Parts: sequence; C-alpha cells; structure tokens
Amino acid sequence: MTSRRYAQLDVFAGRPGAGNPLAVVLDGAGLDDDTMQAIARWTRLPETTFVFPATQPEASYGIRIFSPRREVPFAGHPSVGTAHAVLEAGLATPRDGLLVQEGIAGLLPLRVEGSGPTRTIAVRTPRAKVMEIASPGDPRLRDVLATLPLGALPPALMDGGRRWWLAELRDEAALRAATPPWEAIGQLAQSTESMGLCVFARSDDPVYFLAVRAWVGAPAQFEDAASGAANATLAAWLASQDALPGNDGRYRISQGREVGHDAIIELYVDAEGDVWSGGRVCSVVDGQIAW
Amino acid sequence: MPIRPYLQLDVFADRPGAGNPLGVVFDAADMDSATMQAYAAWANLSETIFFLPPTTPAADYRVRIFTPRQELPFAGHPSVGAAWAALDAGLLQPREGSLVQECAAGLLPVRIEQRDGLRVPHVRTPHASRVDAGDAHHNAVEIALQGLALGQLAPALWNNGPNWWLVELADDDAVRRMQPDLAAIASLTIASDAVGLAVFGRSPHADHQLAVRAFCPADGIPEDPVTGSVNASIAALMHSTGTLPGIDGRYVASQGRELGRDGRVEVQVDAEGEVWIGGQVQAVIRGHVDC
Repeated sequence: MTSRRYAQLDVFAGRPGAGNPLAVVLDGAGLDDDTMQAIARWTRLPETTFVFPATQPEASYGIRIFSPRREVPFAGHPSVGTAHAVLEAGLATPRDGLLVQEGIAGLLPLRVEGSGPTRTIAVRTPRAKVMEIASPGDPRLRDVLATLPLGALPPALMDGGRRWWLAELRDEAALRAATPPWEAIGQLAQSTESMGLCVFARSDDPVYFLAVRAWVGAPAQFEDAASGAANATLAAWLASQDALPGNDGRYRISQGREVGHDAIIELYVDAEGDVWSGGRVCSVVDGQIAW
Repeated sequence: MPIRPYLQLDVFADRPGAGNPLGVVFDAADMDSATMQAYAAWANLSETIFFLPPTTPAADYRVRIFTPRQELPFAGHPSVGAAWAALDAGLLQPREGSLVQECAAGLLPVRIEQRDGLRVPHVRTPHASRVDAGDAHHNAVEIALQGLALGQLAPALWNNGPNWWLVELADDDAVRRMQPDLAAIASLTIASDAVGLAVFGRSPHADHQLAVRAFCPADGIPEDPVTGSVNASIAALMHSTGTLPGIDGRYVASQGRELGRDGRVEVQVDAEGEVWIGGQVQAVIRGHVDC
C-alpha cells in the first residue's frame, strides 16, 4: 500500500462549501485503471482526478478524470481544480501565465492569474457551435418556457461537446424565483439529445453580470450547482449575438444559490473567440491517501 | 476557518475500498450544528462524524453523526469508525478493552478486540424487536420476493431504530444472484414505513457464515454497500429463532460484493441477547480539513 498526496477542493468557490467539490490524487503514477475507478467510486464526489508526469515537452502535467462510474475525457471544474492542486503542491509552474494539461482530450491550456486566496484559474474550453436558434413558440419548447418570463434573446441550442438549450429570462428576480418545469425539461432533453435547459438573466449585482441556473433533464433530473461547460456554451452564444456583458469579453456569473451553493464562475472570450471558464478554488482537505 | 485534523476511514474493510467510507473531523467543539450539516452535505459521504469533548465523566469521547441530509442519534458504521479514530488519535486509553461513546442516542458501550496487531472495535447496537405487521403486507411481500428461493425463516419486519424487512434466502448463492425488483421493494417499504428490505443466506465458506444484501430504493439507495443496522437486526431475528450461525453466537457476514465492495461485518450475540457489531477499519485518507 503506497501513500500518495491527496487534496479535496471546492472549485468556483470563494469560500469552502460554495462551489463544486473535487478530489485530486497528486501522485497517480503506478495506479491502474481499475484502482483509479475504485478510488473515484469510494470518494463519492462528482469527480476524482489523478495527476501524472507529462509525456510531451509542451505539457506541464498529465491528468485523468473519473466520475464514480466512468472515466471522463474532459470536464471544466476538474481541470481548474487539478491545476490549483498542482500549483499548491509545487508540481508545476506556469509559463507566461499558462499551464498545459495533457489528458485524453489532448493538450489544453489553463490561464493562472493572481496569487494566494484570490488566484483564479481558467481552462480553455472546446469550441461551441450554435446548432439552432428557435422561437419561443416552437412546439418542442412551448411547455418548457410556458411559465418562464423570457428576456431579449431567442432560445438557442448550443453544442460544446454536450448540448444545452439556453434561454434568457427577464431579470435576476424572475430567474431566482423560477420553478423548473421538470417534466417538460426531461422531455426536451430526451427529444433533442441535450442535457436540458440553462436559463440566465442580466444582473445589477456589483460582483457578477449574469445569474445562471442549469436544469439537467436526463437521465436524472437535477439542478447543477456550478456548470463550467454550460457557462462556456452560454458565453459562446452571447458572443455570437454581440451580447456579451462585462468588459473586453470578461464577466462573472452567479450560480447554485437555489440548491444551497453559491458559485462564482469567471468567463473570458478571447480575441480568437475561444471561451475560457474558471474561478477561484478553495483547499478543504489536505493530506495523504493510502490505497 | 480553523484547520482541524481529518481522517477518512473505510469501515468493515480488510483493505481500502472494501467497506463503507466515513469522514472524521476532530476538534469540532467550536462548530455549530449548521456548520457540521453544511460540511457533511458538501463531503457527500454516507456519514461524517465530529469529535467533541464528552459532557459526562462516564463517557470517553463524544461524537455527532451527520448524513448529507440530517443528524442521526446513532448509526453502526460511524460508531465503529469513531472508536477506532479515538484510539488512533490517542484521545484515550481503553479500560480493560472497553470504551464508552457519547452520541445523541446516549451512552454506548464499545469493546476493543486486539487481533494480529489490529484494533477491531465492536459496538453494542440498540435493542431489536419484531414489528407485528399482521397480514397487511402479505401481498406486497409476495410480489417483492417473486421468483426467489426462500430459506427456512418467514419474512419479517424488524426494528432497531429503522424498520427493515428481513428475508432469508435458500443459501448464499441465492443472495449473490438475486435480481431485486426495486419497484416492488419500494412499494412494500413505503407502505410499511421501512427503510429497506434485506436478504441473507447461509454460506459454507470458512471466512464468512452469512451473505447479506440490503436494498433501500424508496430512500434513493438501490443497494447499500455495508449496513450495520441491518446486520444487527438479522442477528436478533436468528437469535430469536435459535438459528444463529457460527460458534458461541459469533459469525462474520459478507456484504457489498455485488457493488464492487467486499465488506465484512463481525457479529456477536452475547449471553444477555445483546447484539454487537464490529469490524476492521482502514485509515485511507489522513490530513487536515478547513471547515
């Protein structure tokens, strides 16, 4: 039994408990696939990652990401959290403000800004495409949108690896008060092979420009506390409509309050149109794992 | 927020990953209930326990036990883990192999067996008794058990805190191969206010005398990996019918293999008819927590 460095983190969180939890095993070398899957099942967290030495000179470190059930090629919050753990452990240093993670999905850059508790880390997300711009009266959307007070932009279906329906609501108060129409969201997710519906509204809050809620319709129905990927597709949608909030393509969103969390995600659309999704990370558990 | 010593244990396990995980937060005297509950919800383990100074000289240590949703007055696997953790941390010395745990349910005796250099805690469980369900659930029981090779003892509803349906099958093979009808089990347990239905079968193997599986579909847990309370109730049922396996009222139950675990629960019914459960504990994660 070998002892390896272990961290449990809260990602997209300004304080422990606000964001999305993640476990990181920092010395993954020597663990086989079955053992990594068994550890990820045992931690009971949404994802557990394993860090390896990089095999390519451009990469800062290697990463593998497991949910309790299977290996995941890419996911936003595990990438951001793992970069934080790697920096805290001194396993890599940014070059020109960038780390490069080597994973199953290839090499992906992460941007590191600031230091200490206000440090932020953002990952460049896979390019998202506008699949479809719909009208609110679309028969597939009618039941989902019937009880929601809509905002300016039309509903749209985005594909950023996973598909999300996006809909702008009138204002933040309406968004926070909304009751998800679960049955209709489940049907929409199944009939359009999408995750479900992500709603957003512009906000006057001094910290964030948008409030977001992400309702997953299939296979299980739940509200996500902090969705790196859904927010990246939302940023791509807003950029395509010249409707980005904030300054110079940068803005923050608030998500998760309706389900007991309080996540802040920072989005950045760069000059090439790539979307970076990130935020702060809190270290919660720091120690060793013996397996 | 203060940094506190932290352990994540695997209980009823002879190796990491075989049993039921438990989070252990030490030095929690200054934490309020809401903070404990919020941390237990974030950690998402089946239980997290918090160590406090005892409020009575009769107790060696005090713990509070939280699931992600609520505080529990008592639970088996957290108590076995608590005794192990208290000794591991050097909080106390057992007196003649015995300890007294203070928890919300009151004072609980714990026995520490030393075996092969290991400390194996056994806790006395709350008294179990048969619930007279009359014939009200006869049909629902038949539907839930359709197609199964039943054993000698008639299916019965027992209570030792939670209500459990206990069903003997023909042998351990019938237990391992069972394909549970989760919808029928959910209907039965909801109608009879039971937390779940457990099956058990006698085993010819040298290292365990009983195979056990526990299903709680109405509680959102299709199958529980290793269950202290159910094993205690099964022991009380077999004791009441004079059919205890093993020697001198002691036997080992195997649970969790169908879920990729391999839990081992040591059971003993003493001369007074009290049921004790215990098992080996693995310290998987050692470190500190910020909560």
